[in-house]
Amino acid sequence: MLLYDPDGAIYNIDGTRMDLAKEYRDNLRGPFSLELQRVLDKMRTTPLKGRLVLLVIEPFKIFRLARLSGQRGVSPSTVQDVRYYSIAEAEWDIFKRRWLELTGISISVSDPK
Amino acid sequence: MISTTDIIGYCQPYEIAAQETTELKLSSNRPKTCSVKVMRIVCADIDPNGPGEEFVEQSWGETQNLAIDKQEINAGSYAIVKPAPELTSVDTISIKMYIWPTKSSTNCQVIFNWGNVSFSIETDGKLAFNFGSESIISPEPLLLREWYEIEGVINFKANNFYLKNRMLNPVVGYLAKSKTTAECTQTFLLTTQHPIIFGAKFKESIHRREFTSHHYNGKVEAPKIFVNKNKKPLVEWDFSKSISKASILDKGYSKFKATFINAPMRGATGYKWDGSVDSWREKPSHYGSVHFHEDDITDCEWQTILKITPPAQARSGYYIARILADGVQSDIPFFITQRLKKSKNKILFLAPTATYKAYANTHVKFDSHNTENLFEAPISFSEDELYLNEHRELGLSHYDTHADDSGVVYVGDRRPMLNNRPGLYTFNYINDTHIIKWLEKKNYGYEVATDEDLNRLGHALLDNYKVVITASHPEYYSTKMWDSLSYYQQNGGRHMYLGGNGFYWRIAYSDQYPGVIEHRRGVSGVRTWEGEPGEHHHSFNGEPGGLWRTYGRAPQSLVGNGFSSTMFVKSTYFRRSKESYGQETDFIFKNINTDIIGDFGFRGGGCVGLEIDRWDQDLGSPHNSIVIATSENIGAGGLLTGEEFITTTRALDGDQNSRVRADMVFFTTPGGGAVWSTGSIAWATSLLWNDTKNSVSEVTQNVLNRFLENKEFGLNE
Repeated sequence: MLLYDPDGAIYNIDGTRMDLAKEYRDNLRGPFSLELQRVLDKMRTTPLKGRLVLLVIEPFKIFRLARLSGQRGVSPSTVQDVRYYSIAEAEWDIFKRRWLELTGISISVSDPK
Repeated sequence: MISTTDIIGYCQPYEIAAQETTELKLSSNRPKTCSVKVMRIVCADIDPNGPGEEFVEQSWGETQNLAIDKQEINAGSYAIVKPAPELTSVDTISIKMYIWPTKSSTNCQVIFNWGNVSFSIETDGKLAFNFGSESIISPEPLLLREWYEIEGVINFKANNFYLKNRMLNPVVGYLAKSKTTAECTQTFLLTTQHPIIFGAKFKESIHRREFTSHHYNGKVEAPKIFVNKNKKPLVEWDFSKSISKASILDKGYSKFKATFINAPMRGATGYKWDGSVDSWREKPSHYGSVHFHEDDITDCEWQTILKITPPAQARSGYYIARILADGVQSDIPFFITQRLKKSKNKILFLAPTATYKAYANTHVKFDSHNTENLFEAPISFSEDELYLNEHRELGLSHYDTHADDSGVVYVGDRRPMLNNRPGLYTFNYINDTHIIKWLEKKNYGYEVATDEDLNRLGHALLDNYKVVITASHPEYYSTKMWDSLSYYQQNGGRHMYLGGNGFYWRIAYSDQYPGVIEHRRGVSGVRTWEGEPGEHHHSFNGEPGGLWRTYGRAPQSLVGNGFSSTMFVKSTYFRRSKESYGQETDFIFKNINTDIIGDFGFRGGGCVGLEIDRWDQDLGSPHNSIVIATSENIGAGGLLTGEEFITTTRALDGDQNSRVRADMVFFTTPGGGAVWSTGSIAWATSLLWNDTKNSVSEVTQNVLNRFLENKEFGLNE
């Protein structure tokens, strides 16, 4: 029986590549350069435990940042009181948080206007 | 905030005809009373930027001040023998069986239970033989997914008992067998007034309903009970017999019937399975086990709160019982179907209820590692989804795995299904109501029937209609459903397939398990789990499961196109082909002055999206089929399904691989019929764009109008 490997994503992100962060900021839905695609693939296949997700607070309007427990039946835990008012805003912020967690380097690219 | 989960429920049966009765089952976490409004769904999409939700209240369907309360669910499968044999003058009793445990747990798991005697797996993984308050524990924990022969013996005269276990395939470094004996510190009476239970511990009977606890995850095979020195067992069960049945008599064919509750998996490989066959029909003796899961559920068995009986004039369609209470609005879905009743309407819409069940209560966002990668965006959770995660007793979908990582092969409708109703989960059910709303806006008279109707009634269901429309994602089909639709096509019927990834997986129904479908996943196709070796055949009827394509019926052979790719990031459009300008198909594009069709829509901004199908004569597209349009600019977001490539390659996306495409197909059939297949789920969700003033709507209307004409299609029209 073939099961998922939670540590299967082995690509290492170069945390200094602010050009890739800028590329993502300017075009959240792609298409992406191959290097940025690999960054996103890595981010989206991190272990379930601790993965950043969104909770719908008000449908289509308000979302709250949370982390998966990785355990069946155990609810996600909210991350402080981080709220978003659009999916695009959430996607960019989650990207920045994951970049920092995976590389130890903060994204120095400014937020979209 | 209005809650959608403080009251939940289901209608049993899920599908009724007018003047038949469905029973509304509700459970409340808080309110003590509620009111009910029955509504026909025109469009269940509640997105304020969508096509507009629309519901029609039914004057016959309003009830006030219903008393409601919490109702329990006894999730977890087990087998029960009731009545159990009576024991008199017993000096010794011996209980033997084979087991294959699949999960370690923080809870004790009871494998066998009869009164005060049981086998269990303790929280440290060790096997226990329990008699009253006494237990014998195996020296070492059991290894998961290894076969053991276990035996527990109680000697009442000697006042001792022992436990033996033996690993069938010994592993170096682990104890291959052991025997542990203990004295009973006091004399217990064996209590035999209780039922024999496999897979759980008996808790209590309330109103003739058994409640159980401490469910076991794993297989049990060939249980036998001996008394005194008799070589012949008092009772034994051979689970390789009656695999399609929901109960099995003991081997002596006496009255000791084991009844399977919540559908533990039958047709499961046993300790004798050696890989020489992959079907229980060939060597039943290799399939002598039953696989129990702590989270199996096929029937919540709730009390009825209200009986709903639509009057004769009630229209067929998608319906909800809208439950309203203080701070609560919760919709309970059901269908009113047309079945064989004559109708003046010439169009039948087939609601793909098998697909709805297959996806019902999916937990993939929580449990499946690759979900975010598949959708290529952060995952968000609605109240309904968070509730489902916390309440696993509501059961799983065909996309889920059990708590022991084995795949879910049975799903049923006698339980709340929180993603088959108006809400934020739009796939399938809600998307399909875009088609319903389009039919209404265009003033077509139509009827609705369901997959269950088609499976039960066959082509007779379809024969009354000039046109049959299959929905955005009719993915799960039984053999009878397939054969019936094919018969309809080949005998003058006109079939419009307004979706993608249709006719993909084979399922089975069973009279033994009302409301339940079975699907064995196999080892190919886009799937969230893989079938276990040797277990790819349905227990309901012995047919192979998995992809239809594997068994010579690629979807192309039924509808001209078949699944090629997922594309959940962005949708795109079709470009009309040169071939479509021929006389046979020109009618499809009447009054459309562009070759670009559908560069708009409510899912990803195009009519080609979500899941798409392509034409391929090598896979069975009919020789006279014509590709009338093909997608363009799918890009890297389109990803080829596994069965579409043979050797590994990096070139699997829409930028690099020509198979990542949607083909719209038309062909005529013997008897003057025709088939038109859009090959994209997002086609359906583009129909209502710009209030139906769009090319997707116009093409669909052109086809439907022609299909409604009496004039026969010719092979060379």
